[in-house]
Amino acid sequence: MKAARSVAPAAAAAGLFAGAALAAAPAPPLDIPTPYLPSTTVAVDEMLRLGGVGPDDLVVDLGSGDGRIVIAAARDYGARGLGVELDPQLVAESQANARQAGVADRVSFRQGDALAVDIREATVVTLYLLPGLVEKLKPRLLAQLKPGTRIIAHDYGFEGWKPDRRVVISKTYMLYVVPASVAGRWRLTASLPSGEREFEFELEQQYQDIRGGARVPGGFLPAFEARLDGDRISFVLVEDRVSHRFEGRVSGTLLMEGTVRSGPGRNSGATAWRATRVVRGSDEG
Amino acid sequence: MKIVFSVFVLLGVLAARPGLAQEHPPKLDAPYVATPQVTVDEMLRIANVGPQDVVVDLGSGDGRIVVTAAKKFGARGFGVELDWRLNLQAVENARQAGVEDRVKFLEQDLFKTDLSEATVVTTYLLQFMMLRLRTVLLGLKPGTRIVSHDFDFGDWRPDQKTYVRKNVFLWIVPANVAGRWQMRLPLPPVERLLDLEMKQRYQDVEAHARLNGVPTQVWEPKLVGDRLTFAIVDTTDRENEATLYFDGRVRGDVIEGELTRGVGAERTVMKWRAAKTAR
Repeated sequence: MKAARSVAPAAAAAGLFAGAALAAAPAPPLDIPTPYLPSTTVAVDEMLRLGGVGPDDLVVDLGSGDGRIVIAAARDYGARGLGVELDPQLVAESQANARQAGVADRVSFRQGDALAVDIREATVVTLYLLPGLVEKLKPRLLAQLKPGTRIIAHDYGFEGWKPDRRVVISKTYMLYVVPASVAGRWRLTASLPSGEREFEFELEQQYQDIRGGARVPGGFLPAFEARLDGDRISFVLVEDRVSHRFEGRVSGTLLMEGTVRSGPGRNSGATAWRATRVVRGSDEG
Repeated sequence: MKIVFSVFVLLGVLAARPGLAQEHPPKLDAPYVATPQVTVDEMLRIANVGPQDVVVDLGSGDGRIVVTAAKKFGARGFGVELDWRLNLQAVENARQAGVEDRVKFLEQDLFKTDLSEATVVTTYLLQFMMLRLRTVLLGLKPGTRIVSHDFDFGDWRPDQKTYVRKNVFLWIVPANVAGRWQMRLPLPPVERLLDLEMKQRYQDVEAHARLNGVPTQVWEPKLVGDRLTFAIVDTTDRENEATLYFDGRVRGDVIEGELTRGVGAERTVMKWRAAKTAR
């Protein structure tokens, strides 16, 4: 597949230059700049850039090969890193490469199976694996990784899980932010301009897509513009011709809290809200 | 053009006018349907209205959008409305909200209104009028925000869309980038000549480039108002390939901005400037 890709543009460029060569006489030497073939350096850069990698991150590369992603994360972005690779020879090579790059103290490489390694401490996970393995990894990643952890996949993403961002620069890169688990029933209390309120708040979830609303006596207030970004949640409830914008964070599995702004404008005051989970729903993710 | 001052109201014109209305009902292009306050709030929020803005509401009815923009978001603005009775109500509403010095209401045809001062235009008009208005709005300053609810501009895709009881749409007037552009990039080891050819449909840009004469793909071209961003992969130096990220502002026949090459410790930032060579 890679071979086929590199041949096509080469043929196209050859065609273009053949025309030019015919027009000019004598024929120029064949020092034609080779058309761009996906460069791993560029791909590594793009993955780390898309992941917003920084000094506070622990980057785990599953299937780390010669270690280039983990080493670049440490060298160019100041992160710490861990590479997991099945091939012991590549692991040894990675360790040598890390020493050469002067980042041996901040990265480590482990010979092992991507499906068996403990990745709970990761803040960024990079994947450049075939689709079958990516799918097999998905439940493990969702179970182990903290909400807000960024997963960057190269070429092959997760089926059914829409990336939070997708960038195409020569190749396709997908960013997934691990969503907090929020499905179920919550007891939400908020101090709104109308007074202290308590709602029964329900959420359904499929990965980062959430929907739901609040039960009120004799009705239901749908949660508009409901969004989940890692552990950050936001939604709008409209009651009595006033919109209430909730923003907050999910802590663990039983609590979320934040601030709510009621009514229009820039100066609407923020008050506190808090929700505790009553029933845990099934995450459809 | 008639500007309805609040003085009118104080003089008791409001009381005297209803009789006249029977004889001269205003001829309207669209029926008056008031926008719910929650939707007004959402429209102004999605447009990120602030004290620097001039908000113009086309078909301003009782003035609620312009009045809310002034009172809650600190903006200035004016409303355009054919129905003088609604304009009187709007002026009264502005007075009650204490913003009569920052808003006005014009009794005139919105298609004959000078919109050049507007930074935000809000509308709630029937679909056929929206399509007529589209041409006018696309001629406004790049970056001008346009907000509507329920009705859209056909094949001009909104830049943002939210749903809070109703659909609210935001468009940002795109700069004109269609044509051929050229720039010199002082990158080591040799200066590069970048030719850029862009086609444009509203904010959607299709771009083709030649780097020192070699066809090069343009990735992720985006145009938001006057801000143009795109990336190309620079393979001139085979030992040091990197992606060039362009971020610039369109000013007529010139685009100027910054260019980032490489990432992390390797990152270099420099200025770039492209000039239009053909339309």
